[in-house]
Amino acid sequence: MILNNLSMFGDAFAQFVGTWMIFNIFWAMLLGIVIGALPGLTATMGVALMTTLTFTMPHQQAIMVLICIYVGAIYGGSRSAILLNIPGTPASACSTLDGYPLARQGLAGRAMGISTSGSWLGTLFGTMCVVMFTPVLSEMALTFQSYEFFWIAVFGIVIAGTLSGGDALKGYMAGFLGLWIGTIGQEQYYNYPRFAFGSTDLAGGIGLLPALVGTFGMAEVLMAMRAPAAKAVSSKIDSVIPRIADVTKYWRTILRSGAIGTFIGILPGIGEDVAAWSSYAAAKRASKEKENFGKGSIEGLMAAETGESACVPGAIIPVLTLAVPGSAPAAVLMAAMMIHDINPGPMLMITTPNFFYEIVAMLVIADMTKLFYGFFLVRPLLKILLVPRERLMPIVFVLCVVGAYAITSRVFDIYVMVFFGFLGFVLRELKFPMPPLILGLVLGDLLEANLTRGLVISSGSVAPFFIRPISGVLAAITAFSVVWSIPAAQDWIRASLRRAFRRAPAAG
Amino acid sequence: MTDAPNTPAPMLLAHEQPLPPRLDLYVAAAFLTLGMAIIGVSLSMPTFYERLQQIYTAPAVVPALHGAIIALLSIWLGVRSLKRGAIGQKIGNVVVVREGYSNMRLAAAALMCLVYAGGLIGRMPFWLATILFVTAFILLFEWRRGLEPRELAKRALIALAVGAGTGVAVVLVFERLFLVRLP
Repeated sequence: MILNNLSMFGDAFAQFVGTWMIFNIFWAMLLGIVIGALPGLTATMGVALMTTLTFTMPHQQAIMVLICIYVGAIYGGSRSAILLNIPGTPASACSTLDGYPLARQGLAGRAMGISTSGSWLGTLFGTMCVVMFTPVLSEMALTFQSYEFFWIAVFGIVIAGTLSGGDALKGYMAGFLGLWIGTIGQEQYYNYPRFAFGSTDLAGGIGLLPALVGTFGMAEVLMAMRAPAAKAVSSKIDSVIPRIADVTKYWRTILRSGAIGTFIGILPGIGEDVAAWSSYAAAKRASKEKENFGKGSIEGLMAAETGESACVPGAIIPVLTLAVPGSAPAAVLMAAMMIHDINPGPMLMITTPNFFYEIVAMLVIADMTKLFYGFFLVRPLLKILLVPRERLMPIVFVLCVVGAYAITSRVFDIYVMVFFGFLGFVLRELKFPMPPLILGLVLGDLLEANLTRGLVISSGSVAPFFIRPISGVLAAITAFSVVWSIPAAQDWIRASLRRAFRRAPAAG
Repeated sequence: MTDAPNTPAPMLLAHEQPLPPRLDLYVAAAFLTLGMAIIGVSLSMPTFYERLQQIYTAPAVVPALHGAIIALLSIWLGVRSLKRGAIGQKIGNVVVVREGYSNMRLAAAALMCLVYAGGLIGRMPFWLATILFVTAFILLFEWRRGLEPRELAKRALIALAVGAGTGVAVVLVFERLFLVRLP
């Protein structure tokens, strides 16, 4: 069995050895790092735009390019965070806390070395978790029926709303708005065009990719053009080679942050930014050098970088096992897999087991390529970082148009992208988090198919949705998440727990 | 960007800063209207009961459920905003002024994007539409009153170069190299 697995891994790695493939890996990683480093361009936007470019490639090449973009963008964000004190992506906002103070102390190179080693180890840790947990979770998911899958979809929306930061109530609203938008167009049983109002374009449904490109591409162009121009503060750069002592000294922090990042990645819709902040907070709590946090703490930077990078493979685990994306870029990655005729979910390990090994190989190769660029791509990147947004944003919008149009060649998809661009912008301004909206769009089919199937099987009884063990647990967690998001209920639960714990010793 | 690196800047996510309750009330009203409209349209859909003898597969079941939940959540938001003093509070007193943010720049960028996506594309070759859009976009945002003619010419040249480069590169990379169809 072990030999068989090793042989499968060997075969998977061998597929990525050709000249054309290596060329693709290197340009994609470079582009990913640049996208991540440029403020205003995010990993989600990068993966969404490149899905179009890779449309005609064989699936191994296409997904490899997209994973390189994803891994590279999350890592690249820390370059500008350290060197310019501007987070390139929301995920790297945490890295500015200690990265930039280190740069101000003349240790920019060391900070980037820490970022490189932390990020490299984080992705490696997360990839090991993919190897360990994906087969187990897939096996478990095979026992799920419609009732469980319905709750997984609802749980995804609710947990993304609760944990994606800010107002949980607005997170739920965004999630259900996404679910409703997913119902526009012909439904699966009678091909009845819902909410089409006579339009054949609307009857065809809202394309996931144009919606994603609009929400994360055009909306970000509008936000960048509205915001004041970021003032870059560059720093002198010392040696960028990671120090082994920095890794060995903080191995506990690396392991802890890796575990936190991967776990947060597995939770539906919760992205790398939450992973970075949670890892940072946990590292600060456990540190013996708490006072250094925020003033150039190596441990703090290491925790943030490891956490956010471990989240990337973590977010891919639920894609492979449940067809539920763990983060916004993973949602786009999942859409790209579907475009390439790969059906993520519990059947993936049965129908296309090779793909699991290929994904692991892709993550490892992307991680190694990232390490390579970590050593060399510092000074040239500084010049790219200083490109004014006035020259960058129109190019991004052109790519948004191409990205929306290319998959189905419908001009209507360009209008969908523009609509979602404005919708995404307005909702962000009204403090609605975006991951639940995207998750709603992605999970709409899963929720509807399993709700109706479950009701048909049970002849309309809702009991199986609550009394089956896993369904019951998922329903309870979902309900608890909603209740927990109400401050008054949270206070009441906390007070009750405090009272119960105080009473317990007295009773003993 | 701060000169005092010893004090970490507060890193609140954009949506961690709450909206004024009055605005939340308007948002709740808009979402309530949407939820009710979804329910209304769903109720007008056929059930197709005669085909499968099943009511649970009716096209309206799931969207109506979503509509009902959106309506309920918007009522929750509305009640919450009322409890937070949405009525009687002057909205102008609580809107946070964000320094350096420009609605004019936003409107100009949005208009340029709309003209490109809705007006130029389809009426001329894609490369030409792209050159025009990118060049005009850069020129519009880099133009300043009172610029020296020499500086203005330099900026115009850069804008044209970036526009032409983008138009040609997008066609070459997407259409020729990766065989992706362009609008």
